[in-house]
Amino acid sequence: MGTSDGQVLGPTKIVDAGPPEKRWNIVIVSEGYRSDELTQFAVDAQQFADALLAAAPFDRLRPAINIYRIDVTSKESGAKDPKKCGGTGAKPRTYFDASFCTNKIRRLLVAKNSRVLKVVDKHVPQWHVAFLSVNSPISGGSGGSVATFSKAPGSVEIAIHEMGHSAFGLADEYEYYSNCAESGHNKHSGSEPSQPNITTNKNRATTKWRSMIQAATPVPTTKNADCAHCDPQPSPVAVGTIGLFEGADYYHCNVYRPEFDCRMRNLHKPFCGVCQQVIVKKLTPFLP
Amino acid sequence: MAKSRKTSKKSKARKTAKPKKKSTKSKARKAPAKAKARQTSPAPMKAMRLTFSYEGDEVKLISQKRTEMMVPPSDPVTGFNKQKGFWAELKNDRDKTLYRHVMHNPTRNDAEVFPETPGQSISREPAPKRKGVFVVVVPDTDKGEEVTLSRSSPDEEGPESGLRALASTPATEIMRFKLKK
Repeated sequence: MGTSDGQVLGPTKIVDAGPPEKRWNIVIVSEGYRSDELTQFAVDAQQFADALLAAAPFDRLRPAINIYRIDVTSKESGAKDPKKCGGTGAKPRTYFDASFCTNKIRRLLVAKNSRVLKVVDKHVPQWHVAFLSVNSPISGGSGGSVATFSKAPGSVEIAIHEMGHSAFGLADEYEYYSNCAESGHNKHSGSEPSQPNITTNKNRATTKWRSMIQAATPVPTTKNADCAHCDPQPSPVAVGTIGLFEGADYYHCNVYRPEFDCRMRNLHKPFCGVCQQVIVKKLTPFLP
Repeated sequence: MAKSRKTSKKSKARKTAKPKKKSTKSKARKAPAKAKARQTSPAPMKAMRLTFSYEGDEVKLISQKRTEMMVPPSDPVTGFNKQKGFWAELKNDRDKTLYRHVMHNPTRNDAEVFPETPGQSISREPAPKRKGVFVVVVPDTDKGEEVTLSRSSPDEEGPESGLRALASTPATEIMRFKLKK
């Protein structure tokens, strides 16, 4: 099991914006692709790159971003899919030992990340973000220093959301932990979060993204009338309006997000204006 | 003791170098602008890649590797004392924060679980005893002496204690080490 179950073939630059010392470098590594499936990995990696660079604000930061793929073969296709989580019981021999059902959570797909980082360090030492593309149609993924995703529909959305965490320090903007029916996540009673896209400060003059809130926008912009549940009300303002919307950081009340919706709250949504500003600020120095 | 000796040598070096910078009036006028540019420079060309392992709450530094690369601009280096979260700081020999990187806590005891069907909600599930690795990249500058990691701990009491406990208290320093020179 492990490195004897495949081979690292090496990197290919698939989006070239310049020398890696001066750009922001993304690396996509293959897992669970047999050598005769690497052509498919090339297609998958390119599709990922295209989708990422089409998403705002990366669409306007393209000259700052290099993307590499690293071809790694595995003896067998896919990822482990343990029966204890309702899987098929498949145990393919793969280079990074990716497996669903990590911590008995069906869709938590995790590999040997230290092994992934060793490969990435060796082949693209200037890397900023590493992804592991797992050749499986089953839905799953995970975050951390190696954002891992499968080939299920929507997996690119997972990867970009995870990149929001790992590369830009963005917080989750959803207002529950497991679901809206849970108890115990009524009121955020903690200190001000360090992440740039959530706040407990509802003072218009001092809140984190005050410069982006227009004078006509009410603050708070939404208020949850029942802190025992998620706020069911629709947005009272136009899409894209930046304000203070109650509910974020796994709590129903006393913590605010900048827009009604955002990629850090729901997949298949664009990043909110504040998250976009954070990303632009972080990547602007990498522009030529 | 070792630290104070080092500080003393550096102060001496700075004092010796100072008169050279003020050798002409024009250079003296330019100096503040240059100094300001250096201070706010968002993208050094040299970096130190730090790799950590964690198991449960325990975090260990496993490698320091110097790399020619640009580092994203720092997160705010002041005004964060009472904030909660997880971050790394690069500090000088006077414990002043030179660079700060706010992170989504890589050591947390839960995991994000994504929906199978588009349109369904993201959620979190407890994932105790997680282990893994994470990476922090800081600028590699002459002034950078130490790196610290700070983290908020999960609440011990309250309605969500135990597996689903979330961190709500200000972060405290959990690790400090000297950078390899």
